[in-house]
Order: sequence, then structure tokens, then C-alpha cells
Amino acid sequence: MTAAIQVRNLHYRYHDGTEALRGVSFEVAAGECVGLLGPNGSGKSTLLLHLNGLLPDPPASPPAVWIHGQPLTASSLAAIRRQVGLLFQDPDDQLFCPTVEEDVAFGPQQLGLEPAQVQARVRRALAQVGLAGYERRATHHLSQGEKRRVCLAGVLACEPVILALDEPTSDLDPRARREFKTLLRELPGTKLIATHDLELVVELCPRAIVLDQGQIVADGPTIRLLNDEALMLAHGLERPHILRHIHPHPDVGPGQGGAS
Amino acid sequence: MRLELLSHLHRPQPGPLERLPAGPKLLVGLGIIVCTVLAPARQPGWVAALALLVASAVVASRLPIWFVLKRLLVLSPFVLGVALVQAWQAQDCAAWGMTLAKSGVCLTTVILLANTTPFTHTLQVLRRAGAPGLLMTTLALMYRYLFVLAEEAQRMDRARASRTFRASRRLQWQGLATLLGQLFARASERAERIYAAMCARGWR
Amino acid sequence: MHIPDGLIDAKTAAVTAALAAAGLGMALREVQRQLPPRRVPLLGLSAAFLFVAQMINFPVLAGTSGHLLGGVLVAALLGPGAAVVVLAAVLIVQAFLFGDGGVLALGANLFNMALLGAVGGWWVYRWASRIWPGPQGHLTGVAFGGWCSTVLAAIGCSGMLAWSGKAPWAVAFSAMAGIHMIIGLGEGLISALVWAALWRLRPDLVAQPQTPQSGVPATGWIGYGLLVALGLALFVVPFACPWPDGLERALAKLGLERAELRPVVPPLAPDYQVPGVSHAAVATAVAGAAGALIVFGLAWLLGRWLVRSAGPNRIGAARD
Repeated sequence: MTAAIQVRNLHYRYHDGTEALRGVSFEVAAGECVGLLGPNGSGKSTLLLHLNGLLPDPPASPPAVWIHGQPLTASSLAAIRRQVGLLFQDPDDQLFCPTVEEDVAFGPQQLGLEPAQVQARVRRALAQVGLAGYERRATHHLSQGEKRRVCLAGVLACEPVILALDEPTSDLDPRARREFKTLLRELPGTKLIATHDLELVVELCPRAIVLDQGQIVADGPTIRLLNDEALMLAHGLERPHILRHIHPHPDVGPGQGGAS
Repeated sequence: MRLELLSHLHRPQPGPLERLPAGPKLLVGLGIIVCTVLAPARQPGWVAALALLVASAVVASRLPIWFVLKRLLVLSPFVLGVALVQAWQAQDCAAWGMTLAKSGVCLTTVILLANTTPFTHTLQVLRRAGAPGLLMTTLALMYRYLFVLAEEAQRMDRARASRTFRASRRLQWQGLATLLGQLFARASERAERIYAAMCARGWR
Repeated sequence: MHIPDGLIDAKTAAVTAALAAAGLGMALREVQRQLPPRRVPLLGLSAAFLFVAQMINFPVLAGTSGHLLGGVLVAALLGPGAAVVVLAAVLIVQAFLFGDGGVLALGANLFNMALLGAVGGWWVYRWASRIWPGPQGHLTGVAFGGWCSTVLAAIGCSGMLAWSGKAPWAVAFSAMAGIHMIIGLGEGLISALVWAALWRLRPDLVAQPQTPQSGVPATGWIGYGLLVALGLALFVVPFACPWPDGLERALAKLGLERAELRPVVPPLAPDYQVPGVSHAAVATAVAGAAGALIVFGLAWLLGRWLVRSAGPNRIGAARD
């Protein structure tokens, strides 16, 4: 069965010459939830931007990214963007319309849907993130947690099959974080979550990939990776405290039941 | 920083005027302004009637009177200046009195409209009226990021002030100019990210 | 310098609205043609930037402070067409949301500040930056262009006030132009300082040719030039010779009398035969020209000083 995301030997250089990604290769199966870990500057955000073709600009040839078997080229860009929903790190960048309704409707409108269909999608997406009735609210008056949820609604309204999230819980207070985590857990489809929130990864992602200086240094079951203290410290991370309080078997964690 | 102009009045419950649809409200307001400007200077009755109409609208809106008066004062120096010139030049007081009255009525109408109509509704009315797309995009983005940039500027200003120990006008000007330069650079970078976000959801 | 409603009469508002609409239309067309799509959000963000920048107070003397208007700065960074669109957005928000500048007077304000001021100031900047390549020329251009834009806008404003009969031309011109020659110094200085700061922080933002250099069709500039010339012809040139006193009484009646007194097409070369006045007119022109030269000299010195003081401290210096 074709993988949902296939990345083969991906390289990327910034404009000033520094290498951001050095030969990254991995696969994500359909329906998998994978955590992307790494210190600041490791290339996590840059990698996510490659998944829907925002980088490189113009698309690389030969392609290095395949989404559900389709190579990412200039001609397949629009189709792939419909399949991959990207949630940006700063909700203020993504939430660019003055009202919630307009922002969530942006994606469906770009898809060319009829106004009635657009409305239906907006309502459904807002209900999915628990913000039903927020349509007329002004975006700049929302709290950080609400902004993130509206951003997620805006992405969900496009009905993507793959979700790529960049630091989704980075500036949320504990309650907003808990609510967002519950939301993410219930979302179907393939998910790739780049984050510093190690507890989130433990709770939501059975598999984790560690990125450092543009290269993948580890890829495997989350609990085993995060329990490897040497590995964590070597790449700017640490063993999260939550792991000290669960089953000592390295392959078993919350929500995982028996051995993997 | 005159950021107090950005502080819109947030009232616990909206007054009666806020529930009216934006389009007709804007048209009526525009009509009042046009009538005020066209009202003959020699017949104060017209302006008086319009003033009465606007005053009763202010009362009906339940906006605090001190709020309206404060905004009127903040925005009037130019009018006062011209009225002074007229008073000094012209033979009769009627001319500058009429200028003050007309400006006052128009200004109050705008203050009333601005505080009983969310700007997002105004934008929608303009869009439906057929305003050019690029201008509407610019207006919408401007309004959306006004407060974001204002807060950024305020944070940078506070950080700058925390490290200012000498009252030197030259240093202050340099500091403020750097602040503005930094603000534009950040705005430019944010614009790039917004473009990426728009593309990610299928723009163009 | 935002003209509120009630200060200009209906016909001035209508005529300026028409001129401004034409200018804005041309600017929008130019921007759509020249601006790459990735820069479209920058228009909105620049408008937000300008709005916030106008609220920052630069202390002058105890109590008073100045602030940036920013038309020439934005024109230098984004191009004149984009500057007109940005200023239009700023003025619309200021008028509709804050009452800063009248709603009916939007056309007048846009004409003064964007078409006359920002585009006029941009021309000065472009000329200066071409004659003196490098940051020196840009800074001189931004500084002097900023001053020019303020003065030009003030001249347009006084012309409109006079046309509306709110104030006689001589008084309006000397008051407004006089004050704004001083205020313009602040605008030029602040614009230059901000441009210099940006040059140090992100030289790529200022060095890039944002303005279409070789690709500008001559027709675009003819259009702008015509609009500005028309506006000047309507609002400024006829007042070069002052009205006889009796007109002051007639001006009290709105509209009708004035239309009869003024020629339908104002003379482009007003008659300076009124005795005792021609000297005043010439003297004003000479004083204005001298003032402009002095300010230009100051701008040039400022440019040099800023370039020199920025030299080794440029953050982006290593990247060039």
C-alpha cells in the first residue's frame, strides 16, 4: 500500500547558503500519527513547508516528495495542496481575515465551491474545533487558544487527508493546551506534528522522528526513543518526566496497551 | 504613543443602533453628511435640524456622552484653526460659526457610525458595492494586522524605554526611528508568511 | 493635515473625489501589473505599519511632538503606485473608523497627501537617488522628498480651502505652507532616519528595485502628471493673483456666485498685472525657492552624516 507521505533524499539550502535539510528520507503510512522532534534550527519547520510545496519555490525537479504516491511537481502542486493541510507556527500569520467566518471560508472558496457548500463546511469545521457560533467574531479579539482553533478549522474546512502541524501547542496556557490535545487526538487521517512538547508526542504519537541539523538521527517508537536519555541529550532534547511515571517497559506507554 | 485612539469602546450589551444592518446605517450617515455640507450657510435652520437629528441618534445609541465629546475634541484642532482664520478675516461671525457647526455635525455622525458598526461589516458593504479587489484585500489585511503591529510597537517601545536612562532627545529620535525600521522589517517578514499561508490554502 | 468634512464645499469635494478616484484607479492598475503576487500582502501590512507609525510621537519641544506621515518613505520602499494604494487604505480607515479626515473629504485628502505629496515627493527621491547612487543619494532623496511632499500637500490643501471659500488664499497659503515648511523638516528627518535604520537592519528591503525602473510605460506617468497638473491648475494657480476684496462678501454665498465669477477653465498663466501684488507674488516664489534650496542642502548633509555614522555598524555589511 502506498505511503501517505514519502520523502526521499530531500535537500534544501537557504538563500544565504546554509544547508537546512541534508538528505532527509522517511515514510509515513496512511493514518499514522508521527511526532517530529528536534532542537531549534534543526529544520522541522522547513521540512513541513516542503510537504505542500511551499518550498522549494519553484518545485524541485526531480521531485523529492510524494503524497499518496503522487510526486510533487509544478503541475501537481494544486492537487497536493488540497491533500496536505499545514498549520503554521504563528496563528497570526495564518489567520489573515478580519472575521472568523471569512477566514475559515477562505480555503473552500479557493477550492471553487458554491456559497452554500462553503457555508456548510465553515459550520462543520467550527463545530469540529468546538467554536460553533464564532462566525462573526473579529479575529484580532480572540485568545491564543481560540486563534489556534480557528486556524485548525480553516485547514479542516479544506478537508485534507494529511495534517502537518508546526508547534501547535507552543504558546497555549495549560487548559488551552489540554483542549487542543484532545482535539488533535480525535482527528482522523495522517498527522505529522513538529513540536517541542514532548508530553504531547508521548500522548498522541506512537512513532517519532528526531531531526538535528537537517538530518534524521532517529526514527522509531516514541517511548523507546524518548527513554534513550543519551540520544535525547545529544540532540538538544531531554527525557520527559512523564515517562518516569509509566510502565517501565520501553515500548509501552499511555494509549498503547501491549508490546508494540 | 497615541494608541488610545485604537481603543474601541467595548460595551457589555450593544445599544439599539448596533443591531441595525450596516449598509443602510452607512447610507443614512453618508446622507446626513452630504446634507450638512450642502446646507446653505445663510440658513442655519437646516444645520440645526441635522444637529438635532444626530444628537438624538447619539442619545438613542446609548454611547457615553463623555466618550463622544472626547473624540470630538481630539479630532478638531484643524477645524478650530480654520474657524479662527475665518473669524479673524471675515466680517461676520456667522461664517466661522457655521464652519464649526457643520464640522461638528459631520464628525459626530462619523463617531457614531464608527462606534456602532464593526469595521468588518463596513468592509463587507464596500465589497458588495463593488470596490476594487486589490484595495479591499489591502483594507482587510490592514485592519486585521493593525492591532498586531500596534502591540508589537508598544512592546518594542516599552523595551526601549526600559533601557533609556538619559533624557536625550537625539537618542530618543534614534531609538524611535530604529523601532520604526524594525517594525517595517517585521511587517515585511510577516507579509511573506501570510503569503505562504494564503498559498497553502489554495490562493491564486 | 487631514481635512474634515464641513471644511470644503460640495463642489470641491466632488472634483477632488473625481481626481483622486482617477489617480487611485491608475495606481491600482499599475500595481496589479507590476507587483508580483507574493508582495500583495505587503500592501496591507505596509498600510498597517504606516497607521501605527503615524501614532508614534517624536518629542520636539516641551509638550509638542511630531510624527511621521510616511508617504515618501513607503513610495521609496514599494514604489509610487503601491504608495498611493497604501495611503488610500490608511485614509479610508482613518476616516471611517476614527473620523480623522472627513468621509466626503476623502478625495481631497487622497489627492493632497498621496497624489500631490507622496508621488511628488517620490519624484524628488528618484531624481536624487539617480544623481547620487548609493545610500547617500537615497537618504538625501528621502529627506528632501519628505519635506517636499509635506509642502506640496499643504499647498494643495490651502488651494482647496480657498476654492471652498473657507479661507482666503493669501491667508490659507501663508499659514498652511508656512507651517508645513517647518513640519516638513520633521517629516524629512524622520523619514531619512527610518530609511537609514532599515538600511542597516535589512539592506535587501531597501536596495531592491521595488519601483519599476525601465518597465514603466510613458503613458503611466503622463496620466499622473496630467492629474497633478489639473489639480494644481484648479486649486493653486488661479490664486496666484489674489481676489479683490469684494469677493469676500460674495464668497459667503455658497456655490452660485463663485461659479459665475470664475472662468470655466482657469488661466494657466495668471495675470500678474495687479499693482503692488506682483512684487508679493514674486517675493513669495523667491522665498519659497530659497527655502527649498536650503532644505535640500540640509537633506544632503543629513544623508552624508547618516551614511558615515552607519558605516562600520551595519548589521548586514558582511552580506553584501
